[in-house]
Amino acid sequence: MGIPVGIDVRDEIGRDAVDRAFAHLRWVDATFSTYRPESDISRGERSPAVAGVLERCEQLRCETGGWFDVRATGRLDPSGFVKGWALDGAAAILAEAGARNLCLHAGGDVLVRGERAPGLPWRVGIQHPLRRDRLAAVLAARDLAVATSGAYERGQHIVDPRTRRPPVGVLSVTVAGPDLGTADAYATAAFAMGLGGPAWTAGLRGYEALTILADGRVLSTPGMAQLRAASTGLSNSSRTASMKTSSTRSPNATTAARRTPTCRKPAFS
Amino acid sequence: MSVLRRAVPAAVATAAVVAVLANVRGRPPDLAPKRVVSNVPEPGRVSARPATVSGPVRTGTGQIITTPFSVIQVRVTFTGRQLTRVETVELSGSGPRTQAINAHAEPILREEALEAGSAKIDVVSGATYTSESYRDSLQSAIDKARG
Repeated sequence: MGIPVGIDVRDEIGRDAVDRAFAHLRWVDATFSTYRPESDISRGERSPAVAGVLERCEQLRCETGGWFDVRATGRLDPSGFVKGWALDGAAAILAEAGARNLCLHAGGDVLVRGERAPGLPWRVGIQHPLRRDRLAAVLAARDLAVATSGAYERGQHIVDPRTRRPPVGVLSVTVAGPDLGTADAYATAAFAMGLGGPAWTAGLRGYEALTILADGRVLSTPGMAQLRAASTGLSNSSRTASMKTSSTRSPNATTAARRTPTCRKPAFS
Repeated sequence: MSVLRRAVPAAVATAAVVAVLANVRGRPPDLAPKRVVSNVPEPGRVSARPATVSGPVRTGTGQIITTPFSVIQVRVTFTGRQLTRVETVELSGSGPRTQAINAHAEPILREEALEAGSAKIDVVSGATYTSESYRDSLQSAIDKARG
């Protein structure tokens, strides 16, 4: 499976920096793709790069209370983190070459730095989950990573790690914050939580979220609402309401408790 | 004032949410309220509660909650008749850890109806698309337009 990648740099930098960024992305794909039988991941090879990624994924599993789990489907698949992490790496390469204003996207993940033009923030649309040609929201973004998880693209590929079934009641979760790999993992976790996701995202530090429920409601954390208000397009007329949310306890907690993770390393380190 | 008015009805919801948040490892110990919305309209309610609460301080400990990844207990403190503090004590999982959450750290989310809009944008965030689905995606249209 190929994922189209877009790199948009608004500064004068050498062409070789863009080449290096793409080379990095190709290396990540060759190393981590579960679709390639010869990749380190597919062969079970624990190279230093793989070990580092799996360590971060383990931290994220702890941070998300087990809801982001690279083994959720029964086999090792860190794609939920790697795609965003790969773009973080590509952006770092470009930044080192002098790019201050850039926009990267890959498979629905977005990373922007700086502005699209002096004084003008990047305009990041959030895909409408039911209508491919429409947007559910628009964010005005400077230095922001945006990741969306949902069931509308590759079918139901995100599962509740407890039940191994797709969550119900939620169409998509968008998470925005400083780091794209982390935003990706948080979006995956919050989507897997189903209707419990919005409450969890409200407690995140440094990351904001927008959840689209199957009943047509959109729930934004206050910081996300600000990002939306700052954008000129799609300023929805909305009512402000406090959302009393409920626990995200899993129905089959008993069986899942047997695989209680031991989180050795502190998160957010 | 608005926050104080909201504190009491929020108590139950907060306790339930805390049970979830306590699982998040590494959260800085000072879970100060991240979000306080002061302009939430509350039709029909007039602020009459004083800004400070008084009365006897009582603490109650809730039942032990077993979540998939830890066992926690919620402890609440009332000052007079108002809930002033919610704490969760993690009894197992990653070691003893206590988190105190101010009663008005309740999650406050903005709610609205889903709209299907169009606007001038630079990039689209959506769930994973493959090369096949990219061809007729919004992102593809944007990239083509930009050349």
